[in-house]
Amino acid sequence: MRAAIAVAEADPSLKVALISKVYPMRSHTVAAEGGAAGVKKPTDSLEYHFHDTVGGGDWLCEQDVVEYFVSQAPVELTQLEHWGCPWSRTADGHVNVRAFGGMKIERTWFAADKSGFHILHTLFQTSMKYPSIKRFDEHFCVDLLAEDGRCQGAVVIEMGTGEFTMIEARSVIIATGGAGRVFRESTLGGIVTGDGMAMAYRHGVALRDMEFVQYHPTCMPVTGLLFTEACRGEGGYLVNKDGYRYLQDYGLGPLQDKPKNKYMELGPRDRLSQAFFFEQQKGRTIQHPTLGAVVHLDLRHLGEAYLHERLPLIYEMAETFMGLDPAKDPIPVRPAVHYTMGGIRVDGRCAASLKGLYAAGECASVGIHGANRLGSNSLTELLVFGKVAGVEAARNAKSSSAGNSASLLKQAQAVEQRVMSLKTKPGGSEKISVLRKEMVQSMEEGCGIFRVEKTMRATCEKLSELRERFKNINIEDKTSVWNTDWLTAIELDYQLDVAQTMAHSAINRKESRGAHQRLDGFEQRDDVNFLKHSEAYYVAGGIPRIAYGDVKITKSQPAARVYGAAGEKADQERKGSHV
Amino acid sequence: MSDTKKIIEIEVLRYQPESDTEPHLEVYKVPFSDDMSVLQGVQYIKDNFDGSLTFRWSCRMAICGSCGMMINGIPKLSCETFLRDYYPNRVRVEAMAHFPIEKDLVVDLSGFIGKLESIQPYIIPREARSLEQGEYIQSPEQFNAYIQFTSCINCTLCYAACPQFGLNPDFIGPAAIALLHRYNMDSRDGAAEQRMELVASEEGVFNCSAVGYCSEVCPKHVDPANAVNINKTNAAKDYFLRFLSPKGGSK
Amino acid sequence: MSKRRPYVRSMDGWWKKNPFFVEYMIHESTALFVAAYAFVLLVGLIRLGQGEAAWNGWLEAMKSPLSLVFHLAFLVAIAYHTYSWFVIMPKTLPPIIVGGKRVGPAAITGGGLLAAVVASIAMLALVWRIAL
Repeated sequence: MRAAIAVAEADPSLKVALISKVYPMRSHTVAAEGGAAGVKKPTDSLEYHFHDTVGGGDWLCEQDVVEYFVSQAPVELTQLEHWGCPWSRTADGHVNVRAFGGMKIERTWFAADKSGFHILHTLFQTSMKYPSIKRFDEHFCVDLLAEDGRCQGAVVIEMGTGEFTMIEARSVIIATGGAGRVFRESTLGGIVTGDGMAMAYRHGVALRDMEFVQYHPTCMPVTGLLFTEACRGEGGYLVNKDGYRYLQDYGLGPLQDKPKNKYMELGPRDRLSQAFFFEQQKGRTIQHPTLGAVVHLDLRHLGEAYLHERLPLIYEMAETFMGLDPAKDPIPVRPAVHYTMGGIRVDGRCAASLKGLYAAGECASVGIHGANRLGSNSLTELLVFGKVAGVEAARNAKSSSAGNSASLLKQAQAVEQRVMSLKTKPGGSEKISVLRKEMVQSMEEGCGIFRVEKTMRATCEKLSELRERFKNINIEDKTSVWNTDWLTAIELDYQLDVAQTMAHSAINRKESRGAHQRLDGFEQRDDVNFLKHSEAYYVAGGIPRIAYGDVKITKSQPAARVYGAAGEKADQERKGSHV
Repeated sequence: MSDTKKIIEIEVLRYQPESDTEPHLEVYKVPFSDDMSVLQGVQYIKDNFDGSLTFRWSCRMAICGSCGMMINGIPKLSCETFLRDYYPNRVRVEAMAHFPIEKDLVVDLSGFIGKLESIQPYIIPREARSLEQGEYIQSPEQFNAYIQFTSCINCTLCYAACPQFGLNPDFIGPAAIALLHRYNMDSRDGAAEQRMELVASEEGVFNCSAVGYCSEVCPKHVDPANAVNINKTNAAKDYFLRFLSPKGGSK
Repeated sequence: MSKRRPYVRSMDGWWKKNPFFVEYMIHESTALFVAAYAFVLLVGLIRLGQGEAAWNGWLEAMKSPLSLVFHLAFLVAIAYHTYSWFVIMPKTLPPIIVGGKRVGPAAITGGGLLAAVVASIAMLALVWRIAL
């Protein structure tokens, strides 16, 4: 949406088709709670934000892109303010910022604990200002059109009628979000199925760093619903069954009297989720009768009034979904899948290897998250790179010629036939819901917080088996209007592809880095062999081919990734060596 | 998951446009645990009994606004309504009232979206400000004047609760007027006057007869009835001010 | 050809479908009693203008048993209307800020009802004194 606005502002004569399988304000950005990072305080600096991000990403970031990102972050967040986003403010009327995990200085702009909701609605509503943006709401994209090495459009199904439409375009931007629903327990909405990633992948574009999947440490057990990191940013504690703030045992201490950035609960997400795993191994988690192993997120000391002001959604969710009052009871939480760091490989200007194709947001791997994303960098990412993608797509559209409509139409008809046959072919016997259940179960087992060769191997094999069985699916609903049975099958097809890239990228990375942690002899980071991006390429009918690409390093040489007191010491040493 | 499964009867209003002439109720026996929402119950039916059952959903946490349904006749978000609260009785699930049914629990929202677009839901700056000048300054009072009305998730439960919208589908309706009010009340915006014509129009606020049910069912406490009724006063004021000054009144 | 066939449900009897709507209809219909009683008082005023005999006739009519029964019914209906009117009132007012805090809906409804009761008692006292 940010990209569509950028195109409309760049040149109102360009026509923009904004295609979404849901009404745009339903997109899963809506569920982001905590906020968006951008340097704001006079004590902060772009340099700090850069180092937090690169270190947080375990040095697997494209550093030139991160530099651009941190410099544009405050500009874009201010732009959003001008468009009406109701950022929370200080008493003197300026935008306020809060602390977030892995960030040295408070720099997370927030709108209570509904930051994503407000960003999305602000963009959606602002987009209505531009007559050149034509929305195709509830249109499901089934494939891209590519010819002469250029991406030239897309084929979509109007969900309300089941009819196909070909949209010709000189530039195509993918902004379809992540793919976390390939896992069982996730914070994500049902729509987060990696459609755009799979589409680009099938057209030969690499999916980069797909093994890095973020587990958010504080989620509702079973459903996976998210309790924002802002709970900890505002001062919440994580305690085990002994009421002990266990993070101090995992290189995040020592304990501080007040919340301190990059200490304890304000460490990065990968470390916190990993600490949960170890606590569970040691038998120090709480065994809840219905929810399984949990730890407690304790907000009680923050007081009811403060919680209502800063974390109203969290308050409501705890009450409605868990029947408890966070001002009086600690909240049982555990980690769940939250974010895919990897995605469609694009350069710093959001261009993919297929000319005319751009990607921005979670579906893309522009290179700022590396092996672990810092909370609140992704909302900013979609703004900064949404704009970049829009500007570049507009430039490309103006400088390229229209395609050959007749031959594109032929391609589109072939796509239609292929997708229709999924529904019309006789005699399938596999149920979509069964295949999906097996997929998410297997991904959870093989590609969880900690990974070992044996289960990863089993997952890879399971996924290949599911790919085979998918050919034999049966779609019960044969009708045209609003056939979600059919659309879910297409999504499952996408998901299987994306899941394969994750599992195969993971098994091939024989080291531990960021969100990819192994327990089978590869517990250390290996910069000699694996300071590299993985790239998964589509192989028709086979398993993905995994290749490796270089990482762009400008000013931050890989170092030990440390937090808490050790982190502070390392920071000082780094500073010392610069002087 | 949890203890032994109980079975609840879920009665769903089905309508398949390609084979049915009108909607009819069908009953499913669904095993459930205490943490299961009505949405999960409906998903269970789709996964296990009938893949053709159709409904919208996404976030599961009452923020995306997709999964509004009539549950025992009351407009609710199905993701935050729990089966345990109806057991051992049967629970009835229907498409949101007052909207045309497309298929099963999916209704036609295109009219609503058109209304959102019609109210100019974006800042039309009172005074221009460049990005270099930084953010607009808003005092806590200015902020509090509109913040409540920003909380609308466009779930349209308020339309399913509004008989006046049911009787006159052209009525702009609660959520869209609440959003209009949100922009009017924002100190950064200066376009209240432009929006007034719509407020006072035939589709505008005077369709409302202050039933007030929209605010009752709003899952986000936006109080759209308040926005609508304040704008009735504003429209009346505007009307009389136009009489007094030939140049036309303001807000 | 699109296979869409949106089904529009009938609004017949809509007000019976939800207890909230039934209450709303009762509230609205009690407004008729308010209007009717205003009309009764208006007739009284006209009779007063027509001279003493006419006025006394009207007073006599008001005192008839049938009229008393009607008065009782009117009292109940109008009291309910007053009550439900103040219940909806908070939804119709712009926010009232006292001491930096927004006055809650219960306070507005309560305040309104209190004002109505006080006004009624004052009116009653006034009439009582005139009558004596």
